[in-house]
Amino acid sequence: MNNKIPNFVKTNQFGLLILVIVFICIFSFSTDGFTSRFNIYALSRVVALDIMIGLAMMVVILTGGLNLSLGALGVSAAMFGGWCMESMGIPISITIILVLAFGSFLGWINGFVTVRTGVHSFIVTLATMSIYFGFMTLLTEAEAFRKLPEAFTDFGSLKLFNKYISPLLIISVLTCFVLYYIFKYTDIGRKLIAAGANPDAAELSGISVDRMFIYCHMLSGFLAALAGIMLTARIGAAIPSMAGHLGFDWLLPAFLAPVLGGTLLSGGKVTVFGTMLGAILVTLINNGLYLIDVGEFWVRFFLGIILLGAVLLDRAREYFTVKNSIVS
Amino acid sequence: MSDYILELNNITKNFPGVKALDNANFRLKKKSIHALLGENGAGKSTLIKIITGVYNQNEGKLFLNNQEKSFSSPNEAMNAGISVVHQERNLIRRFSVGENLMLTNLPKNNLGLIDYNTVAKESKKWLDIMELDIDPNTIVSDLTVAKMQLCEIAKALSLESKILLLDEPTSSLSPQDTKNLFALLKRLVAEQDVSIVFVSHKLEEVFEICDEVTVLRDGKNACESEQITNLNRQKLVKLMIGRDEQIIKSKKNIDFTDESLLDLQSINTDLGHKNINLNLKKGEILGLYGLVGAGRTELIKCVLGLDKINSGQILLNNKEIKIKSPKDALEKYKIGYISEDRKKEGLILMHDVLSNAGITVWSNLKKILSFLNDSIVYNKVDPYVKQLEVKTPSYQQIVSNLSGGNQQKISVAKWLASGTDILFIDEPTVGIDIKTKSYLHELIIELSLKGTSIILITSDMPEMISLADRIITMKDFKVVGETINNHNYEEMSSSIMGNIHE
Repeated sequence: MNNKIPNFVKTNQFGLLILVIVFICIFSFSTDGFTSRFNIYALSRVVALDIMIGLAMMVVILTGGLNLSLGALGVSAAMFGGWCMESMGIPISITIILVLAFGSFLGWINGFVTVRTGVHSFIVTLATMSIYFGFMTLLTEAEAFRKLPEAFTDFGSLKLFNKYISPLLIISVLTCFVLYYIFKYTDIGRKLIAAGANPDAAELSGISVDRMFIYCHMLSGFLAALAGIMLTARIGAAIPSMAGHLGFDWLLPAFLAPVLGGTLLSGGKVTVFGTMLGAILVTLINNGLYLIDVGEFWVRFFLGIILLGAVLLDRAREYFTVKNSIVS
Repeated sequence: MSDYILELNNITKNFPGVKALDNANFRLKKKSIHALLGENGAGKSTLIKIITGVYNQNEGKLFLNNQEKSFSSPNEAMNAGISVVHQERNLIRRFSVGENLMLTNLPKNNLGLIDYNTVAKESKKWLDIMELDIDPNTIVSDLTVAKMQLCEIAKALSLESKILLLDEPTSSLSPQDTKNLFALLKRLVAEQDVSIVFVSHKLEEVFEICDEVTVLRDGKNACESEQITNLNRQKLVKLMIGRDEQIIKSKKNIDFTDESLLDLQSINTDLGHKNINLNLKKGEILGLYGLVGAGRTELIKCVLGLDKINSGQILLNNKEIKIKSPKDALEKYKIGYISEDRKKEGLILMHDVLSNAGITVWSNLKKILSFLNDSIVYNKVDPYVKQLEVKTPSYQQIVSNLSGGNQQKISVAKWLASGTDILFIDEPTVGIDIKTKSYLHELIIELSLKGTSIILITSDMPEMISLADRIITMKDFKVVGETINNHNYEEMSSSIMGNIHE
């Protein structure tokens, strides 16, 4: 081993960072308008959301599980927020708290059912995805909430740093730091990771694994609801189809970001900043391909290929064991 | 030409950091039953894996019928007529006996579909040779454990095997089943031209059935193809452990009339434990002995709240307690459990030394807002990791990269750090080298002298007799005997085996 190479260089994140830079260079030279103020601002709004849903998936992947209901849950929470503000006239700040609580509650349902039945979260969240989305459509009669308070929608179109960056991106980056802190510097974070890595060993070491798994699902619901609020602010309305049918539009970036970022699909390892970089990479490719004008279907094709590649990478990672720290 | 069917000469096998076999020899005569003995970690299983093509040796040669061979896969060894019957069952439980027997070569009809009539007929042939009265259409999971064992042997025979390796074949058999198995093995050797390698920890069985003995110790031959008639029990044990038996004795005076610290009263469990009564005194090492499947580990898991206790009471200091989970046990009652399966249940292999050693103390160490960093954990666990002389390059080392002995030390260290009053220790020295083993033995005694009360589960009789103050024998999920240990091997082992075979 060459000790002169700093550890950071050997990590997955470093590779991602290089990729991000490479793609930025490619798109800057090959397209018009990639580096324009307008495009960078648009990118910052999109990437903010992709980071958040990537994190929401990451905390469930930590348990070795999945959360397919992510999109449906986020949209349901956002619609609940729209109803609170528009129909009930509840102040924005209280609405946000209620929405986050509601998202956590829906996440709790996912976690509780998964833990109690012992069924894989894949199946449980496939069911709840349909339930949440169906119920939400039923209650809202598929109608959008478009008359949201101006202070709320204005925030979504606010431009910071010489009009380059959306405040939504700042929320996402802050969330990354908070999650990093939780996983690295708290008792509960360590327990979440231990429970995800080896539930049997964790249980016998005095950790309540069931409770930890439920916490992960609640955190996932919380983050998905936050993503829902951010999307509502960005669009300026709460629309049932804003994440596609059943929330499908969120699933691809939700998987891509953490898996590219180095989170192990089998659980027990999280990479908060890796997920952030993964989300940035996905958004860049998405945006760049649109600017090159290859057509929507090609974009999907490429994202699918990247996901497959990332999964292969995940397999490789498992073989070469996790030599780096557990939280990074 | 020699009359050996299998010869291994000067075999050396290296693993990272360990020499598992060091110039070991093994010669199997035609039509003989040959015992392969040695302590855990002596190299028996490595040798078996070389014979069966799972590993390749680094040095040395393997001859089969005087021809040099080298197997690159278990399949090749099997085709050459070498079959191994493992401790754990290798049958597919939902398939029928016939399907399992014919699995590698299922007969097909003209349409290319499986011809079940022929499956039944062919497999019946092998069952008949073994004088087994089993319908080939029986589903394996409906058989008794003993019959499954016999089916495995039938399966090996059906592959025209000339060499059978039996790994602890009697560990889960009743005395009667064992007797039947031995009669069968003797007949196979006499009639079917089969040679058998017999691996067992039960020395009395070796004397009953084997012709020759090879003993491995630390990867070397302690003896090679010794006639069984030249040996007795003491000599054999000395060959295995390299010294006379029973070195470490716990010299304690436990007053067994004292009040108990932990008391299980008429416990019945979901798993099938019937009317379990046992008590643990302060500072005592209470041994739980039994064959595999006697329900010892399961009992401990019920006590820890992992499986349901249906009736009965658990008393701690004469007060009834209800333990809901291992978390409860650790945090409320200061009870810890060192698992027998350190890779699956004891450690988080993909995490580093620090988080494995510290996992039990995180809750106690956390500061405001659940804050916890590495240096807080390090300060707490470092004395214990040092005390146990864990060999690791750093606290950031991933545990799966450490040797078995060091892994075991870490799974012990985390419980020392947690400062429990009662410790359940389950098979602490399986797969551990002899040096670490005696080190762990001393540690367990030292712990109990300092006042920790210990329930020790071990299937290793010498270990049990050197460590325990009192030995409870379990069989079929019941307590069948209790003996105060006088540390005399002959007396104690015959008394314990007597309890089991009553």
